Amino acid sequence: MAGLPRRIIKETQRLMAEPVPGISASPDESNARYFHVLVQGPKDSPYEGGMFKLELFLPEEYPMSAPKVRFMTKIYHPNIDKLGRICLDILKDKWSPALQIRTVLLSIQALLSAPNPDDPLANDVAEKWKVDEKAAIEEARNWTRKYASAQ
Amino acid sequence: MVSRLLIFYTCIQFSYTNVFSNFKAVMPRNFKLLEELEAGEKGSGDGTISWGLNDDDDMTLSVWTCMIIGPPRTAFENRMYTLRIGTGEDYPIKPPTARFISKIKLNCVNENGIVDPNKLEVLKRWQPTYSIRNVLEGLKKQMQHKENHKLSQPPENSQY
Repeated sequence: MAGLPRRIIKETQRLMAEPVPGISASPDESNARYFHVLVQGPKDSPYEGGMFKLELFLPEEYPMSAPKVRFMTKIYHPNIDKLGRICLDILKDKWSPALQIRTVLLSIQALLSAPNPDDPLANDVAEKWKVDEKAAIEEARNWTRKYASAQ
Repeated sequence: MVSRLLIFYTCIQFSYTNVFSNFKAVMPRNFKLLEELEAGEKGSGDGTISWGLNDDDDMTLSVWTCMIIGPPRTAFENRMYTLRIGTGEDYPIKPPTARFISKIKLNCVNENGIVDPNKLEVLKRWQPTYSIRNVLEGLKKQMQHKENHKLSQPPENSQY
């Protein structure tokens, strides 16, 4: 039986020492493969001003398989469903062991800046985004205020 | 002095062990429950048991509505029994709770529909690797057990 893989230790140390701007990720006290993540809503996005809670888990096969990530804060976004599951290619078929926790978090931050209604997970939200983008963005702002206001 | 140092060293060792060396990747509650949800959406094979979230936007993944179709050649045959399963914050370290919505006569179920955890093997000897599916299978097995399989049942579709 091996301990925690060297790579995970390294990644964790680096995440703590040089955090990604606007993102904090810290390992759980009792499970070093489980991270509590906070992502700030990016500037000039409908999520600006919000603080979103996520959870991330590195499965046994990591880095051969992707981390599992989920939003714990409700969010109105075409690529994030009602349960916080994220539709992002690098978390599925585009995963590569060359990617890291850091790259995943950056990609999620980028997804908040650039929602992609053509590759939806939350179908009703994506539909709204396509039919009336202005109203959808307003709704996303409302949800940010209601569920993610940083306190 | 030496013993003090030793204690200090042991403490450090201990916290180090805690953080960095859980040997197997233990899947946290929410990710395990998301997998259980996906397994439920795919179906359970023969279709005699099913489970899904009670509210499809329940981000806490805590309340599940489940169904068991009574096994053939028992008093439960062809009936659909609905029940709620609750997965608390400490799931899967702690077992879930189960409560029937449909009225049922079964030895491990009390007069309010609540499943007695001491009378159902899977809850009594709960392991964190078990899942909602195992609870439903355990209950189905109880329906086939000789102490239950002839119990006359309340009217179909009656509820607690």
